[in-house]
Amino acid sequence: MSKIGVVRFPGSNCDEDVCNFVRAKGFTAEYLWHLDQFTIADYEGLILPGGFSYGDYLRSGALSARSPVMKSVREFVSRGGPVLGICNGFQILAEAHLLPGALVQNEKRRFIDDWVELEFLGKAKFWAAEHPNRMIRLPIAHGDGRFYADADSLKKIEDQGQVWLKYRGNPNGSLRDIAGVLNEQRNVAGLMPHPERAIFDWMGGVDGWSFL
Amino acid sequence: MSAGLAGKLKHYRISQKEHDRACELLGREPRESLKGLEWALFSALWSEHCSYKSSKIHLRKFAKTMNSTVVNAAGENAGVVDLGQGERIVFKMESHNHPSFIEPYQGAATGVGGILRDIFTMGARPIGSANYLCFGEPQAERMPALVDGVVRGIAGYGNSVGVPTVTGQTNFDPSYNKNILVNAMSLGLLRPGEKVALSAAKGPGNHVVYVGAKTGKDGIHGASMASESFDENSEAKKPNVQIGDPYFEKLLIESCLEVLQKDLVVSIQDMGAAGLTSSSFEMASKGEVGMRLHLDRVPVRDSSIQPEEILLSESQERMLLICEPKKLATLQQHFSRWGLDAVAIGEVIAERRVELWWKGEKLTDIDPHILVEKAPVYERPYSLWKDKNRAATPDELKTEPGNMNAWILSVLADVHGTNRQDVYRQYDQRVGLRTVRGADHDVAVLRLPDSQRGLSMGVGCRTHVMKLDAKLGGYDSVLYPILQMSVKGFSPVAITDCLNFGNPEKPEIMSEFVAAVEAITEVSMATNAPVVSGNVSFYNETLGENIVSTPAIGVIGLRADIKNIPQDMFQKNNSIVFRLAETHVFGKSAFPTFAESQGEKALLFGEINVPALARWAAGLKELSLQSGVLATQMVSRGGLALSLAKMCTAGLGFRSEGKINFFEISQEFFYQAIIEVDEAQVETFQKRAKELQLKVTQIGRVQPGSLKIGEWVDLPVTQIQQQYGSGLRGKIESLA
Amino acid sequence: MKIGVKIMPREVILDTQGRAVEQTLRLNKLPVESCRVGRFVELDISGAENQALQQADQIAKTLLHNPLIETYEIKKL
Repeated sequence: MSKIGVVRFPGSNCDEDVCNFVRAKGFTAEYLWHLDQFTIADYEGLILPGGFSYGDYLRSGALSARSPVMKSVREFVSRGGPVLGICNGFQILAEAHLLPGALVQNEKRRFIDDWVELEFLGKAKFWAAEHPNRMIRLPIAHGDGRFYADADSLKKIEDQGQVWLKYRGNPNGSLRDIAGVLNEQRNVAGLMPHPERAIFDWMGGVDGWSFL
Repeated sequence: MSAGLAGKLKHYRISQKEHDRACELLGREPRESLKGLEWALFSALWSEHCSYKSSKIHLRKFAKTMNSTVVNAAGENAGVVDLGQGERIVFKMESHNHPSFIEPYQGAATGVGGILRDIFTMGARPIGSANYLCFGEPQAERMPALVDGVVRGIAGYGNSVGVPTVTGQTNFDPSYNKNILVNAMSLGLLRPGEKVALSAAKGPGNHVVYVGAKTGKDGIHGASMASESFDENSEAKKPNVQIGDPYFEKLLIESCLEVLQKDLVVSIQDMGAAGLTSSSFEMASKGEVGMRLHLDRVPVRDSSIQPEEILLSESQERMLLICEPKKLATLQQHFSRWGLDAVAIGEVIAERRVELWWKGEKLTDIDPHILVEKAPVYERPYSLWKDKNRAATPDELKTEPGNMNAWILSVLADVHGTNRQDVYRQYDQRVGLRTVRGADHDVAVLRLPDSQRGLSMGVGCRTHVMKLDAKLGGYDSVLYPILQMSVKGFSPVAITDCLNFGNPEKPEIMSEFVAAVEAITEVSMATNAPVVSGNVSFYNETLGENIVSTPAIGVIGLRADIKNIPQDMFQKNNSIVFRLAETHVFGKSAFPTFAESQGEKALLFGEINVPALARWAAGLKELSLQSGVLATQMVSRGGLALSLAKMCTAGLGFRSEGKINFFEISQEFFYQAIIEVDEAQVETFQKRAKELQLKVTQIGRVQPGSLKIGEWVDLPVTQIQQQYGSGLRGKIESLA
Repeated sequence: MKIGVKIMPREVILDTQGRAVEQTLRLNKLPVESCRVGRFVELDISGAENQALQQADQIAKTLLHNPLIETYEIKKL
C-alpha cells in the first residue's frame, strides 16, 4: 500500500492526524475533498478520519454520508478497495450503509475521553491484518459511540465474523460490546477508538501503529 | 437634562460626563447631543469591556515585564512569544462570566469560540485550550445546572472544533453563588516559516471583507440578568442569547489559516465583543486610516435587521479582513470552498474617518481615534495595600492536634480536594497528536512537532489565598503554577491574565485590583515571564455583593524535551522522599484546611520574597531534570499531609522517618515541594541539590499499603484511593 | 392521552442544525428555501383532557424547553 486518500469533510478534525500517521508509516497521504469525485485507480486505500463533520448535526455522520465524494467511495468499495472509518468516519460509513449498524449517543449521555482495552475478534483484509497483539489499548473520544443494530443484524454480524473489535469494559453501552465492525467482504472496516492517537510511546501507547 | 437625553444615557449606558466628552471630541456645541448611530458606537466602544477604562492605567504596568522574546506586541490582541528555532506561540485568556450565568452551555461555548478567534486571527493554529472555572456552593440556587451546563458547553464547543482541552481549574466558593466565573484560555502555534498576521488596516483602495456566519440579532438587548424572571409571553424581554457554532468556527479556522498562509490577506481581526463596530474601528484606528463601510452589504440572517443592530450584533464566528483588490476573487474562492461568505462590504480610505453607509445614505462619519484612542481613562480611587489577616507571632498559627485521618479522607472527597475526572473526561485531550500529558496530570504537556521540545500549560489563582490577602493571592496566582511547572523541569516562558473583580467604583475592590496587578508584575519580572496578553472582567457583583477578587493567570513553560518528566504520584517502592522548602509566608490558611475545620480563624505570618522564590523555582527546575527523580509535587492547599496523601493515589503509600510535628504537616507553607527519588540515585541527587544550593530534607520512604506520618496519620492506601476516586459527581449530582 | 410537544429554536436565535441541514439539501440540489431543526417530545398523560393538556404545558414550560432559546407548542395527538 503506498498512496492513501484521506477523505475530508467540513468539520473533520482528525484529518491532519491521520495524514501524519500515514506519513509516519512511509506512505503518501492525500486529502480528498467532500465536494469532489476522485479517480479510484489513484489510491490504494481510503481513510475516513474522526472529528465532527457538519458539527454532528442532525445525526453524527448523516450529512457527510450524503456528500458528493461518497459516490466515488462507494465505487471504490464495490471494487474491493480497502476503506477504514475511524470514529466519525465509522459513523459516516454506517450512515452510508457501507457498514452495518448505527452509532448513537453514549449510554451515559456524555462525551467520554479515555483509554480502553479492546480485543480483536475478526480480521480485516488490510487494516491491522498483521497486528501482533490480540488485546490492545487505544484512546476513545466520542459522544455518539454506542453501537446499535437490531437483533437479526446483530446475529448476522456475529455469525459472519464481521465483529472486528470488542471493548473489554464497555464505556458507552454498545450492544455486544462492539467497538468495530467489518463489511461482508472485509475490505471496509470501522472502529470508534483512534489508532492514530497511539503510535508513539510518548502518546501513552503504540497499539495503533500496526493498524496500517 | 431632558427626559429624552436621560433615557438615552440609560439605554446606551453612557454617563453624562462621557456623553459630554464625546460631544466635545466630535466638535459639537454643548447643547447638542450625540446623533443617530453615534449613540450605539460610543455605547459599544466606550464600554468597560471594550475600552478597559477602569483598568488601563494599571495594566500599563505590565509593559515593564516585556523582554526580547516578545514580538509584534504593540496594539495586537496578544503578544507573540518567540521560543527560538522558528517556533512562536500566541496565547490569551478571556472571561465570559455573565453570559454563562444566564445560559451556561452557550455562555461557556461562545467563550471558547471567542478566545479561539483571538488566537487564529494572529495566524496561529490553536493547539490547546484550558479553562478556569469558579462556581458557588453545590447547594446554591441553579448551581448544579450551571456546573453541568458550563462543562458541557466547553466540551461541546472545544471537542467539535478539534482543539484539545488539556488542563484547567475548578473552584468552589460561596462568593460565586450569584456570579460564576468562566475563563477560557487558548494557545496557538506558529511553525517555522509561518507568518504572524496583524490587525492594522492598510492601503487606501483595499477591500474591507466580511467573512463567516451571517449577522443576526444575537446579543442585542442582552442586558437582562436572572433567567428566572422571564415571562413566557414577553418575547421582547428575553435576551438574544448568542449561539456558538463550533462547526462554523472550524471552517473559519481552516479557511483563515489557508488564506493567511497563501498571502491573500493584508490584515485581519475577529469580530468579538461589539462585533463589527469594534473590529472596524480598531483596525482603522491602529492603521491610522479610514474605512467606508456599506452596512447593507453585510450578509444577514434576518432581513428585518436595522443598521444599528448590525453594528452591535454579537453573532459568532465572523472575521473582518483587509484584502488587495487583485486578490479578492482568489480569496473568495478559498472561502467559498469552505462554505463561508466572504463579502466586500467596503474599502479602506486614506483619511482617518470611518463612514457608515446604508442604502446610499451616509449615516455617520467619525474619526476612529475618538472611539478607540480617546476613550475615557479613569483613575478610580484606591488605597495602598496593607497586609491582611496577619498573625503577630508565628505561635498564633499553631493548631491543636486532632483527627487528621478523618480530615484527610473527608477533604479527598469534597469539592475542593476530590478528583475532577467528571469534568475533564468530557474533554477531548488528544486531538492534534501533540498531547503528552492531559488534564489527568497536574501540569499539561504538549509536544512541539518541529523541535520536539515540551510546552507546559497551566492556570493559577487559588481562591482560599485570595480570600485571606488579595496581594499574596496575586503573587500566588503566578508563583504557584510556575512552581508546579518547575518541578516537572519546565522554565516559565510567558503569562496571560484574566482579572475577575467586583465593582471598580468601590475603593476596597480597586485596592485589591491594583495590589494584584502589582504583585503579578513583580513575579513576572523576577521569573522573566512577560505578561503578553490579558483581559479584565469588572462588575462581578450582584445586589451589592462582590466576588472574591480573582486574578486568573495562564502560564506557558518550555522544556528541552519530553523525556522522563517526573510523575505526580509515588512510583516505586522503597524510593526516598525529600522535602524542599523556600518559605517566607506561613499560613494557618483558609477552608478547607485542618485549622479551619477545627473552627479556628485563618491567619498568615511573614513577607513574600519574590526574588528568592524566583531563584528557588529555577533551582527546582534544574533539580527536577536530574535522573532518578520519579515524582514531584508542590505542596498544595491543606499542607504537607494532604499532599502526601494525594501522592498515594496511584497505589503506593508512604512512611515518614524521624520526628515530625503536627505543625509541620498541617500548616500551609508558601512554598514547599515533595520529590520522590529512586533509591539507587539518591547520592547523585543530593550532590546535585548541593550544587544548586537547594536544601533537601529526607522525610521518609515510599512503601506499599498505607500512608503513615509520625503519630498523626495512618491510612490504608485503598481508602485514600476510594475517597479521591469519588469525584465531583459525589457532591454535584448533575455531573454524574 | 398522547400529547405532542414541538420545541423549536426561537426565530431570532441562530439555528445551527437547520443551517447545516440546509447546506446538505442544497448540495443535493433540492429546492428547499429554508430548514429549521427542533425536537418533538411525545407525552402520555392520564386523566381528563383539560388537565392533561395543562400538565403537559407545565412540563414543557419547566423542563422540556429552555425559554431563553426555544419556543414550544402543545398538541393533542
